[in-house]
Amino acid sequence: MLKNLSYRERTLYASLAAELVVYGPYFFLHQQNSVNNLAGVIVAIILLQIIVQSVIAAVTRNRVTDERDRLIELRGYRAGYLTLASLMVLGLGMLWFHVAVGHHHLDSRMAGLHFLSVFFGMLIIADITKTATQIVAYWKAL
Amino acid sequence: MPAIRNQIRELRALREITQQELADKIGVTRQTVIAMEQDKYSPSLETAFKVAMVLGVSLEQCFQYDPRGKR
Repeated sequence: MLKNLSYRERTLYASLAAELVVYGPYFFLHQQNSVNNLAGVIVAIILLQIIVQSVIAAVTRNRVTDERDRLIELRGYRAGYLTLASLMVLGLGMLWFHVAVGHHHLDSRMAGLHFLSVFFGMLIIADITKTATQIVAYWKAL
Repeated sequence: MPAIRNQIRELRALREITQQELADKIGVTRQTVIAMEQDKYSPSLETAFKVAMVLGVSLEQCFQYDPRGKR
């Protein structure tokens, strides 16, 4: 199956795997997220992406990308942007609601950390949506 | 029925060119040639001209447009 995948498809599967391996435990196992954890996750995903992409580049002889790859990439970015914009509107709406009803005080340190974590999560969801959209487009052979 | 259909597979078989050879000559991936042959991807005008040129036919012989087809 791997032989039938193009260079771009391989890098996308690797990206998705790296994102799930790093972000999955971060969001589902950590009850108490901290700024240090957040920084650690960002460093981990960058390092893992560099290693995985280097391995794929080394084992793939034909690294041609073409107009269809670029079209699919654009579709991925559009889906990612729409996801991020929707989540941002939703997040800001929820923030406004909680502040309005008095659940949160914006000057509290924990509230700041909480919102940092939530907005980081939105960024991750948008990134995973971008990658997944591209993989689906390749599946459909677009 | 897709709006743009093509005869790439038939013309390629006639000239005994593999998908990889055609892909290399027109500067795309083999997966893109497969997608074009299955009418799932309509190439750019530049790529369409390159395909026709490599297969030795005119653009109209290689690609057909059906206005009633799905885009």
